[in-house]
Amino acid sequence: MMFLSLRYLLARKKQSLLIIVGIMIGTAAYVGISGMMLGFQTVLLDQLVNNDAHIRISAREDLLTSETMGSFPTASHVFWDIPPSGMKDSAKIEYPIGWYQKLNNDPQVLAYSPQVNLNVIFRRGTLSRSGRLIGSDPRLQERVTNIQKYMVIGKFSDMGQTGSRIIIGKALMESLGARPSETLFLTSGSGAPKPFKIVAIFSTGVRNIDESTAFTSLSDAQNLRGSGSEITDIAVKVEDPYNVSEITSSWKLSSREKILSWQEISASILSVFKTQDIVRNSMTISIIVVAGFGIYNILSILVTQKRRDIAILRSMGYLPKDIVSVFFNQGIILGLIGGLVGLFVGHLICRFVGTIEIAPGRMGSDSGHMTISYDVIIYVKAFAIAMLSSVFSSIWPSLEAKKLEPMDIIRSGGQ
Amino acid sequence: MIKAQGLIKKFPPNDFVVIKGIDMTIKDGDFISLMGRSGSGKSTLLYLLSTLDRSFEGKVHIDNRDVHQMDVKEVHALRNQQIGFVFQFHYLINELTVLENVLLPARKAGRMEEALPFARELLSIVGLDSIAHKPSSSLSGGENQRVAIARALIMKPKYIFADEPTGNLDSINGNVIFNLFKKFNKDFGTTIVYVTHDQEFGKLAHTQIKLADGLITTN
Ligand SMILES: Nc1ncnc2c1ncn2[C@@H]1O[C@H](COP(=O)(O)OP(=O)(O)O)[C@@H](O)[C@H]1O
Ligand SMILES: [Mg+2]
Repeated sequence: MMFLSLRYLLARKKQSLLIIVGIMIGTAAYVGISGMMLGFQTVLLDQLVNNDAHIRISAREDLLTSETMGSFPTASHVFWDIPPSGMKDSAKIEYPIGWYQKLNNDPQVLAYSPQVNLNVIFRRGTLSRSGRLIGSDPRLQERVTNIQKYMVIGKFSDMGQTGSRIIIGKALMESLGARPSETLFLTSGSGAPKPFKIVAIFSTGVRNIDESTAFTSLSDAQNLRGSGSEITDIAVKVEDPYNVSEITSSWKLSSREKILSWQEISASILSVFKTQDIVRNSMTISIIVVAGFGIYNILSILVTQKRRDIAILRSMGYLPKDIVSVFFNQGIILGLIGGLVGLFVGHLICRFVGTIEIAPGRMGSDSGHMTISYDVIIYVKAFAIAMLSSVFSSIWPSLEAKKLEPMDIIRSGGQ
Repeated sequence: MIKAQGLIKKFPPNDFVVIKGIDMTIKDGDFISLMGRSGSGKSTLLYLLSTLDRSFEGKVHIDNRDVHQMDVKEVHALRNQQIGFVFQFHYLINELTVLENVLLPARKAGRMEEALPFARELLSIVGLDSIAHKPSSSLSGGENQRVAIARALIMKPKYIFADEPTGNLDSINGNVIFNLFKKFNKDFGTTIVYVTHDQEFGKLAHTQIKLADGLITTN
């Protein structure tokens, strides 16, 4: 029945074109917006996943209570005038060796890096900024995160095993007005300020990190903290970062340390992704629904206008299901053309946006161009949405056409 | 051969009886006119005899097959292969050319190629071969009806049913149409049943059936 469907469509070129354009816009919008959003999300996700550990094991910083003070061997009853409160002054991982053994034996763990994380004040002359200092063994740290990828000046390994050298976030350095190879003074808690030399600079594009973080060697961080060889965190890299929750939930059962997956750490950003997805999908679906309504309207009107044709076709032996095809095909053809052209136009939009120059590091681009996703899934989904809406909006008018009895139409003189 | 027995047609909602018990036989090759006053049930009877209307009481057999016993496929196959219809309103499909309209039944049957030469022949018989590729929406009433007749004949059906085919036409065009029926009846042995209220045309049939008040009065 394709012949008849095509003839009906071609007889109403303007109308058909309008619907095709509608579906095309919906499909192209989906492809374009998805390409940009997912490209952006992929880069950001890569940063979220790899900038920090997949799993972070850190010392628990419980509030002190009478119970957590432990037992007093000589006394059977202890009464407090003022019950204990606040936190211990230095949190640490109680038994790191145990963790190392566990991590060494876990086949899912690719690498891990013991760390000392501390809040510090960066000082240069009269300027000061508070931030976070991460002390680690550079060789281990590099295996856990992809920080090396974001180095702007110098290498991550430049900080060495000791020597009071720091690698600093670009934004943090700029806010202090410092320059590479200058010396900053770092203070932790009540300790005395210690000099650290800037040997390298990184910029991840994540503002939060870039304006507050610096890296140094494990021993220098321990020195600054003044707590000997204690460690506060273990950063862990696993084989499948999208499956971390399984690993963390089993670890959580058997340890007293705080265990956070990157997903838990980045929960707020991940929820923004979800919102983006919802906006993107609902916008596209509404465009497509409008186009679908167009198809529905056109076909409904056409079925009414073509009652005579339906009657004559039936009297010539065309089956009810042939009549359905005549109309249904029209909706499908419109959806198919609109969908395919939409995919193409959407792809062109993506290509074009991909050439727009942006500042490197922004929106997570390495190359100075926006990262666009060309994931096949986007195209499959876009096409599926277009086709689904065409099928749904075509099926009802077509089934109405099937119900028309030739006899009724002929008796009424075809009116 | 078409055979009707005890044919009764009532219309809802009040069961208004239009055909009140008709027995008749249409012999193969016959040339029949169906006449009667307006509202006497001519159209209704034509539809009943030709499978277009299958909700009736009594029996209709077409070539010994009970119309009531046929399923949707059989009825449509019968309409496609054995029956041609010509209506007072010609009902061409405007989006198609003249030739495409004529070929519609063959298209359904999947016999486009075989039918093409015959379609051209039919168009020259009805005098329209020169406009075969014109859009059918551009034709005059008389031309339209001639195309509709060519379409009704394309499958070389055994039966042609025509409901006031000349009703909307002037007498010249009416004569052309009528002569076409005669020609096909003679050349192909096509059985023709046509409704008319034109006495002249009615009298030219081999068999004249007069209908009054839902019953056959003379044969
Ligand atoms: N769908 C219908 N519902 C009710 N009555 C109908 C219907 N179709 C036809 N009739 C009635 O049946 C009678 C015969 O109609 P018809 O066969 O068209 O007559 P004719 O063709 O001889 O003029 C008329 O009285 C008409 O009003
Ligand atoms: Mg009538």
